[in-house]
Amino acid sequence: MFSELFLPVLMVIFMLVVGGYAVAVLDRLVASALGTPQAGGIWLAPMARGAWLLTQHANATEAPDWRAWRLAPALYLALAAGGLAVVPWSASLVATDLVTSVVLWGSVEALATVVIFLHGWSANSLLALIGGYRYVALGLSYILISMFVLIGVALPAESLQFTQVVASQEGLWNVIRQPLGLPLFLIVGLGMTFWGPLNLADSTDLAGGTASEISGPPRLVWDMARATMLVAFSGVAATAFLGGWLGPWLPGPLWMSLKMLAVLSVLLLLGRLLPRLAPERCVTLMWVVLLPLSFIDLVWAGIGALL
Amino acid sequence: MESMNHGLGVDIAFLLLATLAVVTGWRVFRTDSMVRASFFLLVSFIAVGVIMILLAAEYLGVAMFFMMAVEMTVMALFMVMFMMNPAGLNPMNMVHQERIAIGAGVAGFLVLGAMALLATFPDQPVPAGLDPVRSLGNEMLGDSMLIFESAGLVLLTTMIGVVVLSSHRGRYGAAAEGSMPPGLEPGGDPAGKPEEDEAGEGGHHHHHHHH
Repeated sequence: MFSELFLPVLMVIFMLVVGGYAVAVLDRLVASALGTPQAGGIWLAPMARGAWLLTQHANATEAPDWRAWRLAPALYLALAAGGLAVVPWSASLVATDLVTSVVLWGSVEALATVVIFLHGWSANSLLALIGGYRYVALGLSYILISMFVLIGVALPAESLQFTQVVASQEGLWNVIRQPLGLPLFLIVGLGMTFWGPLNLADSTDLAGGTASEISGPPRLVWDMARATMLVAFSGVAATAFLGGWLGPWLPGPLWMSLKMLAVLSVLLLLGRLLPRLAPERCVTLMWVVLLPLSFIDLVWAGIGALL
Repeated sequence: MESMNHGLGVDIAFLLLATLAVVTGWRVFRTDSMVRASFFLLVSFIAVGVIMILLAAEYLGVAMFFMMAVEMTVMALFMVMFMMNPAGLNPMNMVHQERIAIGAGVAGFLVLGAMALLATFPDQPVPAGLDPVRSLGNEMLGDSMLIFESAGLVLLTTMIGVVVLSSHRGRYGAAAEGSMPPGLEPGGDPAGKPEEDEAGEGGHHHHHHHH
């Protein structure tokens, strides 16, 4: 009972805490490496900000949908936990080795659309609402691209299970076998956590978008949820394209952590380097350029699986 | 009776999920907003999806999550658009034709309840080595391939049609520039356009004056 129920839950909670902190520290490291001075020590500043948010008042708007507004950040965090639960650390060390774990990750992406929309809608405030609608319009194209790319990695594995996807990369990692896959998937990752160039739901042109009206503890949960979703995403990316726990000399979980850190660093670097896209241009880019590229990736993967 | 091969935890989970599914399904009709109703329905479907996973239908259960997530989002937004209820936060009554609805509900409950109690269900335990995902794939791309592929093609055609119809770059130019109905005779005034006061039509070369 203990090892079946509590161990996986403890593992996911540990990953949420460590992962969220790692994102905050890495982002500050990237920022200071690029020349943006950071207030406070890089290691302590995230905790100071967290403690500060925890002691602040939670803002209230006029007649919001209280339940949805307060639940949305927690639900986004729960979705990140669901994503982390299916990421395998080695052939046996995985919180939930569901046979349809690839599809479960797809569901996490789809449900994230609902939660982000709800977060913007329930505040009963104009800019938050625009942010929510914006994410729905863009989120559909992220989901489609992600779906085709993930079907591509499921094909050589002949399975919808992440552990099998890793096992199928024993000879050659998917990042080389399907060269279009990882770049497309990284764009999906920036999109679904609305990070950096694809931060259109919570962007500064909307004064913070869906998060424009939240402060205090709900803001802390929302920020943590976005950071941990980025961690869950990099876990899935490392599993699907970088061979997961596979690697010489070092033990599997260590390899997995290194690969996740590498994906996280690339995402955070892209987030700091690239300018934000205009939403209309972003929709055109998604449907006219990236979606056809994901078709090509899928056909490439299919031909590769047949040969 | 068959020997139970699942633990107490599965029974407890089933009862909790079934209660959640029924309660949120009931809330769909008692809430006062399109958006809330859609997402209550989503929670109800997710609870059913988890029950399907408990029943070893692992693919169908998980597929329920992402299908319903996208479906309910699209439904919520379309309802808000068509019902002219901005953002769906304005309270509105979610039920109408109550007497017919109550009658249909009671009749449906009685028929389904009677089926659940009186029907004899087949007793076919799932074989130990069954791979539900593989067998579902064989079913969909084996004997039933024609049905699924035709349904898929019809849905794809519909989706492309909807995108073409709703695209703002149409056959008559960009939607943002406004559309003008054609005149009844060549070069005539747009048909069906109400007469306007002078103040409203600055740039037109054609003015009507009524004194």
